Amino acid sequence: MTVRTDNRLGDAPMRPVACRSCGTTVLARKSSWAQTTVQWSAEAVAACTSWDPGCSIRGELPVCHPLRDSIARAVVDGDLPVIDDGR
Amino acid sequence: MTNGQTDTEVRHIEQEAAPSRFARGWHCIGLEREFLDGKPHTVTGFGRKLVVWADSSGAIKVLDGYCRHMGGDLSQGTIKGDEVACPFHDWRWGGDGRCKQIPYSRRVPLRARTQAWPTLVQDGMVFVWNDPEGKAPIPEQAIPRVDGGPGTPGWTDWAWYQTRVDTNCREIIDNMVDMAHFFYVHHAFPTYFKNTFEGHTATQLQKGVNRDDMRPAEVAIGAPKRLGNTSVATYHGPSFMIDDLIYHYEHGDVRTVLINCHYPVDENSFVLQYGISVERPESPEDAAAAERLADKMVQTVRIGFEQDVDIWKNKTRIDNPLLCEEDGPVYQLRRWYEQFYVDVADIRPEMTDRFEFELDTTRPNEAWQREVDENVARRAAEAAEAATSDELVSQTQGA
Ligand code: FES
Ligand SMILES: [Fe+2]
Repeated sequence: MTVRTDNRLGDAPMRPVACRSCGTTVLARKSSWAQTTVQWSAEAVAACTSWDPGCSIRGELPVCHPLRDSIARAVVDGDLPVIDDGR
Repeated sequence: MTNGQTDTEVRHIEQEAAPSRFARGWHCIGLEREFLDGKPHTVTGFGRKLVVWADSSGAIKVLDGYCRHMGGDLSQGTIKGDEVACPFHDWRWGGDGRCKQIPYSRRVPLRARTQAWPTLVQDGMVFVWNDPEGKAPIPEQAIPRVDGGPGTPGWTDWAWYQTRVDTNCREIIDNMVDMAHFFYVHHAFPTYFKNTFEGHTATQLQKGVNRDDMRPAEVAIGAPKRLGNTSVATYHGPSFMIDDLIYHYEHGDVRTVLINCHYPVDENSFVLQYGISVERPESPEDAAAAERLADKMVQTVRIGFEQDVDIWKNKTRIDNPLLCEEDGPVYQLRRWYEQFYVDVADIRPEMTDRFEFELDTTRPNEAWQREVDENVARRAAEAAEAATSDELVSQTQGA
């Protein structure tokens, strides 16, 4: 049951983005303005100081807000492409 | 999005046979109350027959279903004291897997021991630990207590439903990331969607709004008018999902817990089970209203799963789905799921490393897009300016 490679990553692979808060690097990808993918490594998880596990009974997300902001900033600065930017 | 492709090569569906081993981890086999009737029960799962019964203290025991003497079916036997007695020659088997007594013999032969399955009873549900390597349950993978649910005052008992589905259980796992099918199969409209996979857990957070005109089946059973929902659903291991589900109704929010779990019967079928418990409203005009609501909700969930089952019955297994950018992380979920089908020593970091996939349709995209355009233009202007001054510098130096 070997899992194959995501066909979408061939043309547009994930790109490194550094967190402006803790400095660690993750791989990120945005297929659209609304969509964000983040692949963490064990080192990145260990380095992150702002991971909020959320609370399921309040409908809250697990998320690192500084990292999410850093990814948005990378897009705004033109360092992370948006694959289908709707134009 | 590229249209007008010119290549003429046809894409083929690839499929390996479904794995012949079954996932390592806790699997819920049903509600405790089903097994407390003083009789042995048959559970066909993991390609085997199991016998399940409660001993004299009410503790649930699970053994391989076939007697090691001459192969009798223990689940057709009787409970005698704490043991299950085989219908063929009355050998008595204890919950620890040992033969305790042979009524017509003074001595039990050596190695009179069968396979006993580690069990867990929690929140009214019975779990067995499956492990092809035969090891003890992994402590970190213990099933968490349900937050709310029948164990909490003010919540209804489980409204429970069980059905057998004749396909490999990977299909129901895929469901967790398949955003597009919520729209086309279930007529739901997630405005926010997120998957997080990490370690042995996989979570789906979903916020949605409902459209009654698209939900004739629910309207037909008289389910109350729903505005939307917030759902945080987590698989704890390969088969057991707890969904903390908040329904937003015209009259306010209702907290519920939905259990969605399955166990494999064999490679090509599984038993799907789901249950709902509902928090009773603070001031019940009618004490039975919450139970009725729970029953209605189970029917609603059943409608949802029946829609899935209809698709699964006719679809084919596909190892190489052709995904578009709007699809969810199917490959990454399968990579996570694979950890349960390999020996613990063969689990690779990519199967358990944290992965996030988010879709937030509530972001003000146009405003953001404008900001990006401005930044890119500014950067381009700065670069041009820098180039001009470099040029000036070199001209000056050259002069
Ligand atoms: S086969 Fe079970 S007692 Fe003989
Ligand atoms: Fe579905």
